[in-house]
Amino acid sequence: MFFRALLTFLLTLWLTSQPLYSQVRGTIVGPGAERYPIAISPLRNLGAGEDAGRLSEGIADIIARDLELSGWFRILDRSAYIEDPQKSGITLGNFDFRDWSVIGAEGLAKGGFNLGGDELAVELRLFDVYQAKQIVGKKYAGKAKEFRRIAHKFADEIIFQFTGVPGVFNTRIAYVSNAGGRFKQVYIAHLDGSERIQVTKDPTINLFPSWSPDGRSIFYSTYGYRERAPGLYLFNLFTGKDTKFLSGGGLNLGGKWSPDGKFVAMSLERQGNVDIYLLDTTGKIVRRLTEDPAIEVSPAWSPDGGRLAFVSSRSGSPQIYVLELANGKARRLTYTGGYNTSPSWSPAGDKIAYTGRAGGRFQIFTIAAQGGDAQQLTSNSADNEDPSWSPDGRYLAFTSNRKGRYQLYLMQASGENQQRLTGSGGDDTNPSWSPRLE
Amino acid sequence: MVDRLRVSLYGMMFFAFLALTGCPPPATTKPEAPPPAPPQPTARESAPAGRAAPSPSSLEAARRGTTPAPSPLNDIYFDFDKYDLKTEARGTLKANAGWLKANPAARVEIEGHCDERGTNEYNLALGAKRAQAAKDYLVTLGISKERLSTISYGEELPVCKEQNEGCWQKNRRARFVIVSAKPAS
Repeated sequence: MFFRALLTFLLTLWLTSQPLYSQVRGTIVGPGAERYPIAISPLRNLGAGEDAGRLSEGIADIIARDLELSGWFRILDRSAYIEDPQKSGITLGNFDFRDWSVIGAEGLAKGGFNLGGDELAVELRLFDVYQAKQIVGKKYAGKAKEFRRIAHKFADEIIFQFTGVPGVFNTRIAYVSNAGGRFKQVYIAHLDGSERIQVTKDPTINLFPSWSPDGRSIFYSTYGYRERAPGLYLFNLFTGKDTKFLSGGGLNLGGKWSPDGKFVAMSLERQGNVDIYLLDTTGKIVRRLTEDPAIEVSPAWSPDGGRLAFVSSRSGSPQIYVLELANGKARRLTYTGGYNTSPSWSPAGDKIAYTGRAGGRFQIFTIAAQGGDAQQLTSNSADNEDPSWSPDGRYLAFTSNRKGRYQLYLMQASGENQQRLTGSGGDDTNPSWSPRLE
Repeated sequence: MVDRLRVSLYGMMFFAFLALTGCPPPATTKPEAPPPAPPQPTARESAPAGRAAPSPSSLEAARRGTTPAPSPLNDIYFDFDKYDLKTEARGTLKANAGWLKANPAARVEIEGHCDERGTNEYNLALGAKRAQAAKDYLVTLGISKERLSTISYGEELPVCKEQNEGCWQKNRRARFVIVSAKPAS
């Protein structure tokens, strides 16, 4: 009964979108280039009702925030906009481009919405102000509460038009926060902090969320009650169901799905030794991957699934190693600094980001997966830790205590444009960036 | 042009879930959720030092919002990123072994802890190594390994929360919690 209701609900919720018009790919802009000045107009209310939910500005605000975070755009201040968004036209020929060129806009996003009951229809267009033409237009339909998702999708579309790769703003970040009380709990939120979901609630320590490659579920480690050492649990975002993957026998830490979803790599404490193991999807151990008496933790899959970066203290200090799964051979990757941990493999496979200790503080570095010189991406008198790549490989999420408590930050893979994402009042750590969610 | 904006079933189901419940998915409840905790002696009411009386783990103490009870067994301390036993720690462990011999019914859980610096996951493993090092030494001193268990809390349960070496040193510890005053059955 419940399932039928759910299915009906799903069908009615299905978002539709059709391209209105699509013409040229715009100029490609990149990090370091001058930011492209763009105006994001509040949307025109095309319906009869009042805009009680402030969708007109709400949708424009989300698009502007996403484009700002992307690092490629300069958002022109809304107070400078000349035309009245509730009176001006939203299609080519029905507004004056000079109202926008005069304030310095080279790009312009504008559109309208119609809210009938709970049904929301939105149309959004991107214009090239200098050439006075439309670059792309999209129509979206959904429920009123989906306005954020619609705005994120159009921001991703704008970034696609300018760079040839869609943006990553319709993704989520899973992380850990103690803002809600005494214990660390697992949360999932959009990059802008909206639509936050609390995954765990029990009064215990919860750590290390990590997404499945299909974006349907996350692993996390939690201290139980009967079994006192942390076990690995799997939370399904579809169903809200939480299942035990592995527990007992010592620490069961930080499960990571292989890119093909067929295996899980994780660190297990067995007989006083912490090593990395390969498990199948039922939690059965397939193979022990490290046998050293030293500490071995934090496996990170290469995108081709053939290698694992991990941390080992076998040299006397924690360093990053790369294990070839085909022959079981591991080679050391980091040689600079006495503390290198938490590796994260870039989606293109060329780089590994990690946390390293420099000058008594912890910083984010990247290094070529084949080895080479490390590049330090963060540097200030604070700690920057736990890097996690965006699914397009253009950004890293990480945690930093540069403003006191640990908060989540975003930067471009070059280290440029570092911006704060969260400000919960507690400590926000262990970010894990979802795959693309469509 | 291919419609790049078609939304997957997954995305829809996710949002349907949110919409259906009108709120985030229910927070998870573990199958092993505890029965109501029996009243525990506070630090002030605990048995005098030297007597074998069970005390709560650091995690249980944190759940109750209390500080860990004093123990007849002393903590030992470690250097940053190290789990080898310093001379002073060996001395403390010898004293602890003496107490354990005098109280043969007591069973102990050794907690490994770290300071806040560094990576959470690595620190959990480091805490496990610290607890194991303490256990191994107690075994060499003649304590049955059946009486000793280990657990790591990494950097998750500090006793001191300031950011300075004095505080960090207090957190880099192994703690000895009497879990039972009865012999193992």
